[in-house]
Amino acid sequence: MNNQKKIHAIIDNIEKVMIGKRNIAELSVVALIAQGHVLLEDVPGVGKTMMVRALAKSVSAQFKRIQFTPDLLPSDVIGVSIYNPKDMEFHFRPGPIMGNIVLADEINRTSPKTQSALLEGMEEATVTIDGETMKIPKPFFVMATQNPIEYEGTYPLPEAQLDRFLLKLRMGYPTHTEEIEVLKRAEKSAPIEELTSVITLDDLILLQNEVKDILVDDTIKNYIVDLANRTRKDSYVYLGVSPRGSLALMKASQAYAMLKGRDFVTPDDIQYLAPFVFSHRMILRSEARYDGITPEEVVERILAKTNVPIKRLIKQ
Amino acid sequence: MKNNFQNKWVKAVFYILVFFLLREWLLPVLELTDTNYLSIFLAFIVLCLVFSFFSVPWWLSGPGKLLYIGWILVYIYTNEVFFTGEAISFLYNDFITNTSALINRDWPAVTDSFRTVLFFSLLWMTAYLIHHWINVRKNIFLFFFMTVVFIAALDTFSPYAGDGSILRVMILGLLLSGLLKVIKILDQNRLSVSSEKYGSLVIPLIIIVAISGSIGYFLPKANPVWDDPVPFIQSFAEGAGSGLSGAGGIRKIGYGEDDSVLGGGFQSDSTLVFEAVVKTGQYWKIETKDTYTSKGWEQSVASNEIRNYTAGDIIDTGIPTGPVEDQDMAQYTFELPYPFLMYPYGSVVANAQEGTSFSVSTNTQKIETYQQNGNAVELNEYEIGFSEPTYSLTALRETSEDSLGELGAEFDRYLQLPETLPERVRELAQSITEKETNLYDKAKAIERYFPRNGFVYDQTNVSVPTEDQDYVDQFLFDTKRGYCDNFSTSMVVMLRSLDIPARWVKGFAEGEQMQNDNGDRVYQVTNNNAHSWVEAYLPGIGWMPFEPTIGFSGAGNIDYDIEQDSTEPPEEQVVPKQPSKPVKPNAADNKSISERLTETMESFMDWISDNRGRIILWSLIAIAFGIVMFRIRNKWMPKLLVPYYRLRKDNWHSFESSYHRLLKQLSLYGISRNEGQTLQSYANYVDGFFGSKDMKTLTNAYEKGFYGKKIESQEWLKLRESWENLINRTSG
Repeated sequence: MNNQKKIHAIIDNIEKVMIGKRNIAELSVVALIAQGHVLLEDVPGVGKTMMVRALAKSVSAQFKRIQFTPDLLPSDVIGVSIYNPKDMEFHFRPGPIMGNIVLADEINRTSPKTQSALLEGMEEATVTIDGETMKIPKPFFVMATQNPIEYEGTYPLPEAQLDRFLLKLRMGYPTHTEEIEVLKRAEKSAPIEELTSVITLDDLILLQNEVKDILVDDTIKNYIVDLANRTRKDSYVYLGVSPRGSLALMKASQAYAMLKGRDFVTPDDIQYLAPFVFSHRMILRSEARYDGITPEEVVERILAKTNVPIKRLIKQ
Repeated sequence: MKNNFQNKWVKAVFYILVFFLLREWLLPVLELTDTNYLSIFLAFIVLCLVFSFFSVPWWLSGPGKLLYIGWILVYIYTNEVFFTGEAISFLYNDFITNTSALINRDWPAVTDSFRTVLFFSLLWMTAYLIHHWINVRKNIFLFFFMTVVFIAALDTFSPYAGDGSILRVMILGLLLSGLLKVIKILDQNRLSVSSEKYGSLVIPLIIIVAISGSIGYFLPKANPVWDDPVPFIQSFAEGAGSGLSGAGGIRKIGYGEDDSVLGGGFQSDSTLVFEAVVKTGQYWKIETKDTYTSKGWEQSVASNEIRNYTAGDIIDTGIPTGPVEDQDMAQYTFELPYPFLMYPYGSVVANAQEGTSFSVSTNTQKIETYQQNGNAVELNEYEIGFSEPTYSLTALRETSEDSLGELGAEFDRYLQLPETLPERVRELAQSITEKETNLYDKAKAIERYFPRNGFVYDQTNVSVPTEDQDYVDQFLFDTKRGYCDNFSTSMVVMLRSLDIPARWVKGFAEGEQMQNDNGDRVYQVTNNNAHSWVEAYLPGIGWMPFEPTIGFSGAGNIDYDIEQDSTEPPEEQVVPKQPSKPVKPNAADNKSISERLTETMESFMDWISDNRGRIILWSLIAIAFGIVMFRIRNKWMPKLLVPYYRLRKDNWHSFESSYHRLLKQLSLYGISRNEGQTLQSYANYVDGFFGSKDMKTLTNAYEKGFYGKKIESQEWLKLRESWENLINRTSG
């Protein structure tokens, strides 16, 4: 089974429970392979949790879930050392972050302190407790969700922290027929319970390593940087995409190329991924909000204006 | 892949055709260089072709050819028939000599035999090249085209007549190209056919070549629209138009004896001829000529009377003189002495060194100078007393045509005109003068005709009449551009056509006015002042000078003895006075190359300024044509691109460039890629537009090579097919 087939097996598996959300499944797998994390922003009840669980099951990964609430403490996330009077020592009890695939539900409901504990873990893949740094087992993939509707009692994530997420996705409602299909499948039993894994964790780690071999031509790198630069200069944008954003786009595009069965990245990959990678990394000016411009629209405009590299200026 | 050249018979046909094509190269070379031994060279070509026909390995064919060359050298240069000891030593010595000559770069020292060797090597290379073209490229068109160019160039620029040759070349070349094309098509489709099958395949081709060849041969052929370019280029380089032999080209100005062929530009020459101390500027007359030949002037041998005078005698030149009390003196000092006098109008007496005598020819009014012993002498100094004639305007206006009939037979030679003189010259003279009632005004009307009708004074761009052209006619109706010879000759001819006796006068214009140490006026006359003008005979008045040349004003003095309110304003200065630029080309010219170059440049610049309108017009047309061609380039470009990319190697670079070419063509066609559009989405668009899958195929291959750097081993042939499909659609 080659890499593309493996990836498609995961996606097909997810599709068994997630009807009509193939693109979200694809992008989640892309983020997983690119060792990034996903921020899912959507109303409750469209299947965010189902999605993550299906993904975890497909890659036979350990699934953990953290439901964020305002009173959640960092130690509830990363774990805590508890004094054992028997041997008179502190024993570390790992928190839910120490899993392979973590669903951080409603991340904006908790205090910044707890948020940053999660985000540090996401970025560094380590947690520090009582001065002791512990590695989070690989693979490590966080899918955080936030509800865009209820803002009361929430702590919106600062932009610097949003930057930690490779992709920001929106599920959206299923179509009429899709929803009927959802009902049909859930009639007898919960389909998620019947899911089996399609690849092993080792396979996943292999994929994560091999994706780095996907060729990103210099012209493509140039294209990525061009796009990032343009977000920094756009009149609607207050804060543009950071170099970390460019890097994220490149990594994501490698994974996406692998998903498409190519061993090189094309501008199509970049164009497809750019809105998911860039839009949560920009802060728009208030004019944009008055004009009803969303970050996604800004990215689309930039994509339409930026020259796609189709020619080498210097012959090689 | 099976090669259709495995069929020896087919291959043999090609080699025979090639042999005849090569022969067409050899023939003119040998003819033009006066080389015999055609058969020897042909035999060498045969040898080369036979070797390559049988694919003889190089280690056998090379020495074989060398042996042949060596033997031929021996045969030609030593008359030995075999490789005797003598012959071998000849070859050896020749080799040594030429090698050392080459090493020392002593090119003239190489011997003829070595040149022959070089020629053989050339043939060898050519034969090899053709072998390559036929066997590998399977395309002989380049060689065919070069042969046509070669024959055409030789036919144009050398004595070699390529009439028959070009026909043979065309037929051979068309046959060869066509036959090879058939082979190529067969090979491309991996077909292998028997020689019979091949023969039947090419029958239509042979028939078409035969029919078109014979139609071309038997059809009447138009004469060349352009003149033979060689004389044109030569004459253009020398600054003159098409010319008669011997004339044309640029000559140096100055006084010369031979006026039989006039025309052509000349070069100025400010060499001082003489200085004359005199109160007023004069025209310095030397002689007149009476017979116009339609190309120039000659002197008839009519009854000539020689009148001899000695110094101090009153000389009769046949020209009226002014009153004695107005007599003036002109003192000459010569730098370039001549054996005759240059005298002002109204001359009466000449003084020179002791013992000089003067003889006046009534025929030419030339006053030649002699010593006592009868030998001609070139005087360095002399002086002439003269009294300028003054013509009474009243008397001039009383002259009438009626009196012309009473003139004696001695004036016949001043009415001579060549029979070939075009009628329109006479008609022009009539129309110029028809309003005038007296002879003087008629002559004046002709004199004034030139400046008022767009004639231009020009010393350089003056054409020489062609064989069947009249010098005057050409000037009056075609060129309207010339110097004093043109103007004066034309006026004489027109006067004569009106039956007014007239003759052509040669001499010098007045020259540049200076002052000498004594404060006297001195006129410096240089070769630039050489000039020609007109004398007309008005009954009752006598001979009177006229000056038709634009920019000169040197007619006879008019006594306006009637009131100034006369209808005729006196002596109109129609044209601003120019520095007297005279005009009698002298034959000799020894110009350096740099001078010639400057002349050529000047004449080129003049040509540009003269033809500015036409140049601009043609440039505009060319630009307009260029713009139109550029705008519709998507229509014709694919026709060029397809064969161009077929010729290129099948590799990534060709593909890359062809792909970009296709993108350009598509955008010219009207379906262009937006700057932010990826190739894939563009390919979908294009394929949707044309209903094809070719663009997708090409784009996938391109992306694989470009973004994926996999530039090897793609299916170039298939890609080219897709590419040709698309590019041909863009021209639709």
